[in-house]
Amino acid sequence: MNYASNHQPIRNLTRILIHGILASLWMIQVALAEDVSVKSKTSGSPDGPAIPAGEAGHRSHIKPFFETYCIQCHGPDKSKGKITLHTLDGDLAAGADGEMERWEKILEVMDLEEMPPEDEKQPTAAEREAVKAWIDEGMRDHVAKASDVKSAPLARRLTNFEYQNTMRDLLGIDLELIKDLPQDPAKPYHFNNSAEFMLLGPEQLDRYLKTARRALASAIVDPGKPKVHRQQWTFGSEGPAFASAKPDELGIYSNGRGSIASGVVVDSWPETGDYRIRIKAAAILPPGFKEVPLRIVMGSHLRSDAGTGDYAPVGMLHLSNTVDDMREFEFRGRIENHPIHVGQVTAKGQLPPKRYIYPQNLFDNGQLNDHRRNHLDTSWQNSVPRAVVRTIEFEAPVIDVWPPAHHTRILPESSLRSADPDEYIRGVLERFISRAFRRPASQDERERFFKIYKMLEPSFDTLEETMRETLAMVLTSPQFLYHTVAADGLTTPGYELASRLSYFLWGSLPDDELLALAAGKKLDDPAVIEAQARRMLADDRARDFVRNFTTQWLSIEKTKAVNINRQLFPRFLFTVPNGERFDQEELFRPTIRDYMMDETVGFIGELIRRNASVLNIVDSDFAWLNEPLAAHYGIKGVQGLEFRAVPLAPDSPLGGLPTQGSVLVGNGTGSAPHPIYRAVWLREAILGDEVAPPPAEVPALSDTAGEEVNNATTIKEMLRIHRTVESCNDCHARLDPWGIPFEEYNAIGQFQPKIPKNGASVRKFSESIDRNLDGYSEYLKTVNTLPVDSVARVPNGPEVSGMRDLKEYLLKDRKEDLAENAIRRLLTYSIGRALTYQDRYTVEELLEQSEKTEHRFQDMILTICRSEIFRTPITTTKNQQ
Amino acid sequence: MKSHHMNRRDVLRGGGIALALPFLNSMSWATGAAAAKQYPKRMLISYIAYGVFDPNTPDGTSHEWSWYPRHDSGPITLNKASAPFEPVKDSLTYLRGLDHAGGYGLGGHSSGDVFSTGADMSGLEKTNNISIDQLAAKFNGHHTRYASLVLGSEGGTGSYGMSKTLSHSGPGQPIPALEKPQEIFNRLFRPYANHTVEDVRARLKREASVLDIMMENYKTLHGKLGAEDRQKMDEYLESVRAIEQRVERTSKWTHEELPKIDTKGLNLEASYHQPTEYIRCMYDLIYLAFQTDSTRFATFLTESEHSVGNLVGNFANVLFNYTGATHDIAHKRPEAASGQWETWRAEQHAYFLKRLKDTPEGDGNMLDNTVVLWGSAHPHGSHGTKDYPIQIAGGKRLGFKHGNLHNFEGDRKKPLSNLFVSMLNAVDAPVEKFADSTGELTEILA
Repeated sequence: MNYASNHQPIRNLTRILIHGILASLWMIQVALAEDVSVKSKTSGSPDGPAIPAGEAGHRSHIKPFFETYCIQCHGPDKSKGKITLHTLDGDLAAGADGEMERWEKILEVMDLEEMPPEDEKQPTAAEREAVKAWIDEGMRDHVAKASDVKSAPLARRLTNFEYQNTMRDLLGIDLELIKDLPQDPAKPYHFNNSAEFMLLGPEQLDRYLKTARRALASAIVDPGKPKVHRQQWTFGSEGPAFASAKPDELGIYSNGRGSIASGVVVDSWPETGDYRIRIKAAAILPPGFKEVPLRIVMGSHLRSDAGTGDYAPVGMLHLSNTVDDMREFEFRGRIENHPIHVGQVTAKGQLPPKRYIYPQNLFDNGQLNDHRRNHLDTSWQNSVPRAVVRTIEFEAPVIDVWPPAHHTRILPESSLRSADPDEYIRGVLERFISRAFRRPASQDERERFFKIYKMLEPSFDTLEETMRETLAMVLTSPQFLYHTVAADGLTTPGYELASRLSYFLWGSLPDDELLALAAGKKLDDPAVIEAQARRMLADDRARDFVRNFTTQWLSIEKTKAVNINRQLFPRFLFTVPNGERFDQEELFRPTIRDYMMDETVGFIGELIRRNASVLNIVDSDFAWLNEPLAAHYGIKGVQGLEFRAVPLAPDSPLGGLPTQGSVLVGNGTGSAPHPIYRAVWLREAILGDEVAPPPAEVPALSDTAGEEVNNATTIKEMLRIHRTVESCNDCHARLDPWGIPFEEYNAIGQFQPKIPKNGASVRKFSESIDRNLDGYSEYLKTVNTLPVDSVARVPNGPEVSGMRDLKEYLLKDRKEDLAENAIRRLLTYSIGRALTYQDRYTVEELLEQSEKTEHRFQDMILTICRSEIFRTPITTTKNQQ
Repeated sequence: MKSHHMNRRDVLRGGGIALALPFLNSMSWATGAAAAKQYPKRMLISYIAYGVFDPNTPDGTSHEWSWYPRHDSGPITLNKASAPFEPVKDSLTYLRGLDHAGGYGLGGHSSGDVFSTGADMSGLEKTNNISIDQLAAKFNGHHTRYASLVLGSEGGTGSYGMSKTLSHSGPGQPIPALEKPQEIFNRLFRPYANHTVEDVRARLKREASVLDIMMENYKTLHGKLGAEDRQKMDEYLESVRAIEQRVERTSKWTHEELPKIDTKGLNLEASYHQPTEYIRCMYDLIYLAFQTDSTRFATFLTESEHSVGNLVGNFANVLFNYTGATHDIAHKRPEAASGQWETWRAEQHAYFLKRLKDTPEGDGNMLDNTVVLWGSAHPHGSHGTKDYPIQIAGGKRLGFKHGNLHNFEGDRKKPLSNLFVSMLNAVDAPVEKFADSTGELTEILA
């Protein structure tokens, strides 16, 4: 890597180093180790002295122990990590403010033998175990005696993700709604579905109201059949077309004017409604290819030269029928979801708005950059799959059934409407409110909205309009916007649980089956809950859960924002070859990074589907890949854009999460790997440690490394220099080693055990020089000559050489931590609040159960759903009386 | 008086009180001619991304193309990059070495999140906090038709670490920025669209009645919840109240005539394709909003550190064919491009300041009654989170004195929030403390 010419690694280190407040010894919150539950059952270790319980033990043993081993750094003189032990009073039963958290941390670092530090005086194993047992017993006792006073709110507004899904399932139409809402807060490695993140303000409420109005304008249609807008376009196979492709042909580089590649223009459409797009299409497949992926998008004019334009996908086809077997395909969608192209302002005034429909050939075998010399050169595209699109038909709204189902679901056809309008309105309201509030509407509630209806009635012409405005108010009520919590006389615990299940596994409201079980008070039965959870996981909606959960858990969103160094990685982005935007990324089609996100989400989804062990997150015998991604990782024999499980050879550099592009790219600099980011990722996401950001007062890396930094050639070396400063070493000694084995994987997520010498740059593939890709890999071998240094000694563990070793160590020695972390993440996400020390023993129980099923993923989810804490996730406070 | 940097409960309690200030008897239309000599006290915060050009020079002086006109404390003589400010040079102050400690941990692309809030995102806070424009608006927003004006070139709120607005009304309450000139113009000066005032009044009356029932609905639910959930849901109550007040306020203002705006020279169609026209149009709108006393507090995120993937991040490319995104300039700091870039940014901001200065107000001008903060949350280069480049302009009649650069680096270090306290007090939002402030920034007070 050319570190010298790119300062980013240094800067980013600096950034990490000036992070935050907590530092030093207690910077991590570590998971329970394997043996705690067993050993803590006795009041002392088998071969050590038992310590008397409570304050007596504190006086006789604990305090002296701290004084011998800890107080030097965590006492009146020094408080490394802002933790001091001399002020702890030893009465765990009383549980003074903030003390329990401290005790838990002490227990955790002692479990991992992180403390005292290796180079300090060490207690004997017996002493250590006895102290741990004393703390553990005290805490257990404290938690058991805590009274049932609820101390943390469960009420919280829906996240935007939940809001979107809820509206979809409530209204029966899939509208893109959250683009007008303020974005939700997000914090790396945290879930945002908790009371502390989900806050509400006037702006938010205002936007909820506007969004509800917009959604209801679509859900409830006006009386009378609307005008249907239709348009059709035909493309022939004859005649001139730009860049050698025929008018109806779509190659991967096609952009010819007058050909199908430049899209078609829709001139008119209804404001709301379903559209139908039919296309007649076929594939031209050179020998050896089975299909061509064809995507249809609709939106504004897409200008790849200027990088402007906005669209939403209509649908995707994998065509395999040939031109003599032209077939028709149909897509449906909501017209509201597609951006409009605003008309230009000309001398004669503003031109009317338009919408463009573009078919896109998404074929990608990972070589798109290699064969494109300029935008006129399309020779190569004819040796790979092309699509043929003969006709496109657009029609909106679709009135096969009118009024549409989503309308009659709210406003059913009924004689009551004219016979007794008020009764009809009441019925409409009662049904809608009950669905929206996820439990039966009370009579009070129904009457209140009826009152609103009557109040609004004189201002509107039709029942439909009045109802839209009334229901918009239902959708801005706290009962809708906030998660359902049991409330006397309004909501039973059963409904609360039905909602908790559905928001956990679907990110949406409970369906009729769940509500019926809640109504029948059947959800008290763990067996019923389990059956429901299984049913829900098998449902398509569970995909939303997997994506949302995985993305936040692993903090992979940032992957898309990393700026990739094109000089070093000329083949990573699909770039525009010439013109104004030379070397700019081609926009408007899925990129390799989108596929990397899909890989990680799909991988977790597959583990859940197979009910495989969660330990697969560290290493697995399969990867979740499609063709471009397989090509990127150097795996042969994968054809097509669809993802699938690809078996891995035992010596494959792939497997598990740590070697996936979403993790490696997101935790790199775009030029180089970044061992600290990667170390933080491993500890936070996989081991469940909380890595505190560096304190603001520590000097930056460049200052501490001084002159030497200019000569340091690798990050590892820079870190070594940095660690010579004591204040930095305290943290980095425990952090850096975790990231070093990742050095075998480069900034774009490829296994690259050898790197270019300092200062070397890598040229693109060139047909004239390399002849073919094998030639190019020969060239790369001549450039990549320096073996990366990936040897590190894991803190309190063995020396590992590279990723394979690291994975082995994790699976052998840290199995319990991995499983416990998975449980904690799932549990936190499912109940929508952070876990506290009080949940320690609950987690311990869940872990024991999980062990019995070898930590199988789906079983773990089911165990959580059945658990006491999921059913009543309140936190309790110590009764102070 | 306690800090006006609110924790959540403060917002619910104190904030509620601030909102409920007795604006009925202090609305400007009701105060009449007696108060006419009291000119509006205004505030604008304008943000530029990626820090500024400010390279080290061998002799320790300031580079001729540096954003700062000089290196150390002392009287200002404009250099090449700051030359556009010539017409307003007697109303300028530069500050070096101020920043928000709460943003240190946010990293090189994200400390802009707290630029106008000073929230402690490295520690205690997770969801940002109230910005000074909004706090000022809570005190004095009731004097005008709109409490504040929140603009940003990209619109919306953005997300954690990628904020696209400078304004927040409290924790977890970002205010979406407006970015389309025509829409902003309509909101400001054509709020009733095609409806008659009577229609609008009737609608507002109806909305008020509906809100009453919504409030009842809330109260019934609230009464049935446990204590913790009840407390959490107070945020809903406050939100409904705020909307009620907005309805009431809009209703009152329907009795006031809308200002007549001369749209000549106003290019409301300006888009990112014409960066200069676009930024100027946004500044024009702020100017018009101030000039018509439609609002007194505004923020403008001219660009963010997350303008990647759209033209806002490519202004330098559009403007002078720089081969790369604006962000790239900040990384590589090529001298010529940096100079061009700083000059262009200065020209746009100076254009706005000059418009204010050219508009008489009593025996002074609008600039004297407007304090304008202009800066970035990053120093030279783009990844530092300390030592924000800050320029303060105008507000001579609000108590500011100008003409110097003040360097607060090293031992003289002070929190940027001290400046905020002074700015708030200058616009009659009396606070003693804001965020991590330790007092006022006396150096720039007359």
